[in-house]
Amino acid sequence: MTPILSLKNIDKSYGRIQALKGVSFDVPQGSVFGILGPNGSGKTTLLGIVMDVLASNGGSYSWFGNPPSEKQRREIGTLLETPNFYHYLSAQHNLEITAAIKQKPVADIERVLKLVRLYERKDSKFQTYSLGMKQRLAIASCLIGNPSVLVFDEPTNGLDPAGIAEIRELIIDLSAGGKTIILASHLLAEVEKVCTHVAILQQGVLIKSGDVKSALSQEEWMELGSADMEKLKEILDRLPGVNKIISSGNHFQVYFNAPAPDPGWLNVHCFEQGIALNYLQTRKESLESAFIELTNNVSN
Amino acid sequence: MRNFFHTLRIEWLKLKYYRTFWILLSVIVVCIPAFNYVIYDFTDNSFPKINGQNLLGNPFSFPNVWKTVPYNAGILLFMPAILIITLFTNEYSYRTHRQNIIDGWSRTRFIHIKIIEVFLLTLFVTVIVILTCLYFGFLTRTPSQPKAGWQEFRFIFYFFVEMLDYSLIALFFAMLIRRAGLAMGIFFLYMIVEQFVVSLGRNKYKVTWVDYLPEEVSDRLIPQPFTRRMISPANNSLWEKHVPLYLSIAVLYIIIYIFIVSWRFRKADL
Repeated sequence: MTPILSLKNIDKSYGRIQALKGVSFDVPQGSVFGILGPNGSGKTTLLGIVMDVLASNGGSYSWFGNPPSEKQRREIGTLLETPNFYHYLSAQHNLEITAAIKQKPVADIERVLKLVRLYERKDSKFQTYSLGMKQRLAIASCLIGNPSVLVFDEPTNGLDPAGIAEIRELIIDLSAGGKTIILASHLLAEVEKVCTHVAILQQGVLIKSGDVKSALSQEEWMELGSADMEKLKEILDRLPGVNKIISSGNHFQVYFNAPAPDPGWLNVHCFEQGIALNYLQTRKESLESAFIELTNNVSN
Repeated sequence: MRNFFHTLRIEWLKLKYYRTFWILLSVIVVCIPAFNYVIYDFTDNSFPKINGQNLLGNPFSFPNVWKTVPYNAGILLFMPAILIITLFTNEYSYRTHRQNIIDGWSRTRFIHIKIIEVFLLTLFVTVIVILTCLYFGFLTRTPSQPKAGWQEFRFIFYFFVEMLDYSLIALFFAMLIRRAGLAMGIFFLYMIVEQFVVSLGRNKYKVTWVDYLPEEVSDRLIPQPFTRRMISPANNSLWEKHVPLYLSIAVLYIIIYIFIVSWRFRKADL
């Protein structure tokens, strides 16, 4: 299947500073593709290049398998960095300009304004909006004409927790409707909840890309406790696939080479060996830790 | 063509509800006839009349009015320049120049429609100048001179070229500097510095190339009309001889500005 977006060796420098170094990856159709990286890693620069507002110094990219064009951009809803609107115009008039540029019907404006809960304020000037409202208007603008591809750069900037949850739900809903979503963010928890694929950038270099599980493998371990810790240690030592056992006060942290065994099975196994567990918990490394570990490894 | 009108309609959507645009445009519309009226009143009442004839002749009568009004309007060309700088730098301050491209315009389309807007504003102001000419021409008409004297209408075209030159310089600075206040400051500074260089070059160093600098060459298309009677016919014929050269160089500057503005917008990071 032709990728929605394909990048090949994209380079970009600002004077002596190289913002992107030979970045290549494909965004599969129907994916929620997260572009991850700390501030200044090149995420926005990358999206700026593929939306033709920044000029690359090398490499190429294609949308829908074709060379980039203005016509393609009309079929993509994009929120890049900040909401960009005419301050002296109302939400309605601003979206009329967007609809006219995108060559989409003006009638769609009502739908998108209702979707982001701004319909009642449609006649207020943009300059009177709060940061969160501006962000929601920018998302409404992306949704005009129901595009099949959406590009969101830090879409939850300026939103309160309820607003963040709403945008997350919206992204999940849009993805369920078959849309491809490209999402640049430094908020890993946000990405973890919605993304199917990721590309990780650090200082302009692509560290990894692919589906979330393979790109950001999160280590799993189990925690077990018993009244007889010595006996428990003996049992765990004999358990196949154990990588390391760390004593942590009143329990052991057990790491496995392969996927961790089923906790139910492990409980029965210990009982059959004459040990009653008083504590059993499966743990998983947070995406944040996995990300930091990955980026630290590359830095070192 | 349909595409062109569609793009123009979008620009209209940006301006339709922009109060500053309407205020600045109204100031231009009011100031051109008003400023001419002040000069008319001054020339009519401040000089001695000999045998009922003004010392300066009849600068506001046909056919002289076709030269006088465009000359006076030329002094006010900083006003449309302010409007152009305001409109163009707005796109940068609101970052809508980026958003328009992101939403589906090409860079070429964006910059070309801005250049067309400059042309349309120039055309609009030229129409105001024509109407002002007609007003003063008919106001000062005497029974012995009933006709509109179209033979000097070419000065209207020269005004169009002069304003286009000024307006494109304004567009160029707006694009380069991106901030309204600073761009206006640099624009005015440039106008003053060029005049200084021209005065110095012409009067002290006796060089002629200063006559062909962008602002000066377009100013030279419409010579000062009030002291016509005092200037020798030889000077007049010398100016007449140079007009095609002034016009060609002024048009060349217009082409160069359009090229630079388009090229830079298409290549730069937005």
